[in-house]
Amino acid sequence: MRVSVSSIGATVRAAAVPVFAILAALAVSGILILLAGVNPLDAYAAMVQGSVGSPSALAVTGVRMTPILLTGLAVAISFRAGLFNIGGEGQLYLGAAAASAIALIPMDVPSAVHIVLALGAGFVGGAAWVLVPAYLRAFRGVSEVVTTLMLNFVGIIVVSYLVDPSFGPMGERGASYAQSVPIQQSARLPVLAERTSLHAGLLLGIGLALLLYVLIRFTPFGFRLRMLGANPVAARFAGVKSTREMMMVMLLSGGIAGLAGAVEVMGLRHRLFDHFSPGYGYDGIAVALLAAASPIGVIAAAGFFGALRAGSSLMQQVTRLEVSIVLIIQALAILFVIAGFFRSRILRIGKRTPVQASGGTHD
Amino acid sequence: MIDAGMLTDWGSASIRLAAPLAIVVIGGVYAERSGVFNIGMEGMMLVGAFTGVTTSYYLEPHMPVELAVLAAAIAAMLAGALAGLVHAYLTVSRGANQIISGVAINLAALGITNTLHRAAFGQSGRQRVAGFPSIELPLLGDIPVLGDVFFNQSLGVYLAYVLPVAALFIMFRTTWGLSIRAAGDAPPAVDTAGLSVPRIRYATVLFSGAMAGLGGAVLALGAVRYFTPGMTAGRGFIALGAIIVGRWNPLLAAAACLLFGAADAFQLRAQALGLGIPHHFFMMLPYLLAIVAVAGLIGRTMPPTQLGIPYRREESSD
Repeated sequence: MRVSVSSIGATVRAAAVPVFAILAALAVSGILILLAGVNPLDAYAAMVQGSVGSPSALAVTGVRMTPILLTGLAVAISFRAGLFNIGGEGQLYLGAAAASAIALIPMDVPSAVHIVLALGAGFVGGAAWVLVPAYLRAFRGVSEVVTTLMLNFVGIIVVSYLVDPSFGPMGERGASYAQSVPIQQSARLPVLAERTSLHAGLLLGIGLALLLYVLIRFTPFGFRLRMLGANPVAARFAGVKSTREMMMVMLLSGGIAGLAGAVEVMGLRHRLFDHFSPGYGYDGIAVALLAAASPIGVIAAAGFFGALRAGSSLMQQVTRLEVSIVLIIQALAILFVIAGFFRSRILRIGKRTPVQASGGTHD
Repeated sequence: MIDAGMLTDWGSASIRLAAPLAIVVIGGVYAERSGVFNIGMEGMMLVGAFTGVTTSYYLEPHMPVELAVLAAAIAAMLAGALAGLVHAYLTVSRGANQIISGVAINLAALGITNTLHRAAFGQSGRQRVAGFPSIELPLLGDIPVLGDVFFNQSLGVYLAYVLPVAALFIMFRTTWGLSIRAAGDAPPAVDTAGLSVPRIRYATVLFSGAMAGLGGAVLALGAVRYFTPGMTAGRGFIALGAIIVGRWNPLLAAAACLLFGAADAFQLRAQALGLGIPHHFFMMLPYLLAIVAVAGLIGRTMPPTQLGIPYRREESSD
């Protein structure tokens, strides 16, 4: 494809909003840091050093961004169709559980086959977890917001049950923490750099982002999806089967969130742990928002969030500031974006979604 | 096996665990009835819990305990309302996505309370403070079994008995209640009547924040009397479920909280008793019930029609 000057201009304008929001968030957080008696420049310098300052720091950033890159893509694709899947957390847990179920079985097959099977199970697990909300949304007009949110908690409890040390079917008996036994070597994702934990999940996430970009931009499915997101009534008049389209988008979204869980187990933790996600599903919402639901933007936004987390440990060591500062920076960035102080065309996505997402009982 | 003492203990714990939720859902019902979804109640509860504990901790040496606890409860409500103000500004004045605003508030609340908690109480954390007094009501407290379950509780629990009834009365028997419901169902009508939809929504969202803050204070100052980071552990989200199960009615929603409290209390005891049934299944039930309710499988449950939709005067808002 040719990159025209106008498309570069559009990209710059699209990126301006989140960049300004992030700068504003850093400025306000800087005041808080100053109040805590620390020079904010020292704190941010340590954060940069700890996230991109060395190859090993970069590897940590890569590891931290991987799950939120995938959950961000999951939310972004639903945004584009005017849907709001906030059940990424639950889908991630079920994806992790399904992938673990396959990854725990000893198989006499090449590692690549075992990995693909387990990843596939993760996708199916996540998609299965969104099946009921998707059906209710598409065929009964029930808003997907509440149903997907409620299933988050059920999903977390399902994994708690599965890995329970006394009776969970996947639990390691007698373990002091609720967890499964380690997964098979053959189902572990390859490590990308020696002596780091950077695993192939990052490549999977980036590859998927590129794939989704092409899918949304250049395929009939993507066109129908965008149409549904832009104007559901017009889409229906134009012959878009909105029920089928909604089902497909929701299942795709759930499946991608499921992959986030699968990759976290197969690449990093190598066991299914109780409560292993510190809210990656919700981070995905923030990432998708900052990225204005663009798959390529999600890579950048997830990279930023990953860097914040990776850099926060060094920042704490150097300045004794709380790691939780990064949560405040994240929250402020989101608030600045949705407050619409830095207006642009792209913000319409964040703005229009409530009408379509929460007003699901209209049609 | 199972005797009266265990039932009393379970019942009493169910009430204790349900009480903070019952207070939180009142505000949630009001906000949603007026057209604003408040998923940020989780964070507002957390802010309330932290503010309540911290206020009690700093004031208790300087004044009678009762006064310090009262101040703590009020401070918790104010802190919750402040978070509510952020939500109201973004969603009502700026027309921002209500879900995303709520998610950001939850994130900010977690970050702020974690940071300040460490600053106030240091590394070790759990500082016990003065909390709501336990009161055994005269006469009512003497009723066998039920007396111990319902009327031998902390002051916060009694608040949870009174507030939903008052909230029900205001919602369905006063003009305030009427305008709130109209703001969520027919905002142009509110406009025509010369009332301001934004002002009503600001009021309900601030109220929702205050109630979530109070609920957080009741949680932290009721039984445990200390703050731990992230101690609300999803209770604000449970409240969202209870609102649906309770069909946007303050009293029914508060009653639905009892179901969640009972499941919560049961799972703690099922673990101790070593019952054959995994306690996890009981934990899931309330959430599944909320989905069943919203799917319309048990009677008709209609959310307010304008829930989640910013109101703009110049547009027709069909």
